[in-house]
Amino acid sequence: MGTDPALDPDLTLVDLTLEKVQRWMLACILGPRTSEETVVSEAARGWVLPSKTLSAIERLEIYRDMYLPRMEEALAIDYPALKHFLGGQEFMRLVKRYVDVYPSRSYTLNRLGDHLPEFVATLTDLPKKEFCVDLARLELALSVIFDANETPPLTPDAVRAVPEEAWESARLRPIEAFHLLAFDYPVSKYMGAVDRENRSPRIAAKKTWVVAYRRNYQVHRMDLREPAYEMLSALASGRTLGEAIMSVLTRKWRPAVKQSQLFEWFRDWMAEGVFQAVELGDAKAVAAS
Amino acid sequence: MANRWGYPDLGFGIGLRSVHFDYILKNNPAIDWFEVLSENYLDTGGRPSHVLDQVADRYPVVLHGVSLSVGSTDPVNFDYLRKLKALAERVKAHWISDHLCWTGVTGLNTHDLLPMPYTDQALRHTIERVKIIQDFLERPIALENASTYLEFAASTWQESEFVAAIAEQANCGILLDVNNVYVSSFNHGFDPQEYIDRIPRDRVVQMHLAGHTNKGTHILDTHSDYVIETVWKLYRYAHRRLGGVATLLEWDANIPAFDVVHGEALKARRFREQEDSAAVTAEQSEVIAYGD
Repeated sequence: MGTDPALDPDLTLVDLTLEKVQRWMLACILGPRTSEETVVSEAARGWVLPSKTLSAIERLEIYRDMYLPRMEEALAIDYPALKHFLGGQEFMRLVKRYVDVYPSRSYTLNRLGDHLPEFVATLTDLPKKEFCVDLARLELALSVIFDANETPPLTPDAVRAVPEEAWESARLRPIEAFHLLAFDYPVSKYMGAVDRENRSPRIAAKKTWVVAYRRNYQVHRMDLREPAYEMLSALASGRTLGEAIMSVLTRKWRPAVKQSQLFEWFRDWMAEGVFQAVELGDAKAVAAS
Repeated sequence: MANRWGYPDLGFGIGLRSVHFDYILKNNPAIDWFEVLSENYLDTGGRPSHVLDQVADRYPVVLHGVSLSVGSTDPVNFDYLRKLKALAERVKAHWISDHLCWTGVTGLNTHDLLPMPYTDQALRHTIERVKIIQDFLERPIALENASTYLEFAASTWQESEFVAAIAEQANCGILLDVNNVYVSSFNHGFDPQEYIDRIPRDRVVQMHLAGHTNKGTHILDTHSDYVIETVWKLYRYAHRRLGGVATLLEWDANIPAFDVVHGEALKARRFREQEDSAAVTAEQSEVIAYGD
């Protein structure tokens, strides 16, 4: 901040352009120090008038004091379970460090938290950091799904219209509000406990797999077994249904995974509306809703 | 219609807030109109957008933004304006408003409504930007007087004169926030009625009302409570001076049930009717006096 020409301590009122005022005030609000320290000169102190009840510094502090709570409020909307786990004080400490690195550069606060999982991964002093990273990844995915564009899911009629012999080479396109996630901790279960009972279950490492999606404008998540996750990942990446099925039948899960289970999973995914179109064979004919 | 663009007096509305979505869709409450926070609907294809489309089908809608940052020295954000324009067309917004303030600079956004220094340079700069914005949006916008907590020593204009000069010279409308006039008058020690006296009547397209938080040494514009009596009196005064314009009740923190917020908005109708009947009585008395 010392090198910022807008914060030159020798600036007088006469030198004060609109740009300099704005850069200076921004530094007072966002800077790491208090306004008392940021007001770098007696001249700068004179830029703001005192009121009958407050000094110039106290008036500046009003703006500074409102900044972090506003950021915290925005991030708590997207990361309620992480806040629940960390507690209010630790979450606010996280917010402060986060917005120092990733301040808002957008007209909207809705995407302020987009870098939080990667930021949490860089911290060294967070309790159960790996769990926090997983939890933040899940909550970010849910917030992205909340705002994703609506794509109508396949209807039963559209599914019935696909010839039986075409299914093996068919590709299924997921809806836009769709996200597959693999975790080292049971974070979906944790979220459920916090949502339903406002309690924190014991946290122990355990591989888990989740599909998050939106149906009728409501965000849902479904726990998956690892082979189901593999099969759905294969489908989401554009592999044919035949290839996706073989990927789980020929690998380590056989004979634990039976063909009948695959059909059950597939039926569940269809019922939940996670696909928007079936692309058929080389002609790429689309059987949408 | 007192304003020069013929923007209608939509009556008495409230801000569309997600906590009321289900109630509104289920009950179709008899409310005159809704004000929509633009930024909450620009980048979503989810439920907020779905609900807004239904609300816009049923009620008149006005867009109210918090990120236009009209006073900032950063370049105008045309990506934002493009989305804003598309949203306004989609929901058939009667008008678009934002605040006479800046929210950030050097690419950063504090998401606060920061005070302008009321200088000639700031005036010229803001007028130029309002013109650019209005040309792009192809419609006049309305700018709201923000609540402020500090004053710059460099200011050479009074805030009310600055607001009026921007509106006149940029040819834009004014959204007069009566609560903000009161809040700033408390914080800076000016006469709120004199402020309103300086606002050009034909530029005012809308008024805002809200509750605030009095911290003793200063007042914060928190939109978290009922409107206080003094602000109602000021609203009545503003109505007398500026005529009937669309009026909106803002409630953004500790938001109560829809009926409570709507009930507070409808108090404005009562104050306006009281003022109108008082004016008629005064006029009749005058006629009688002349008749004598």
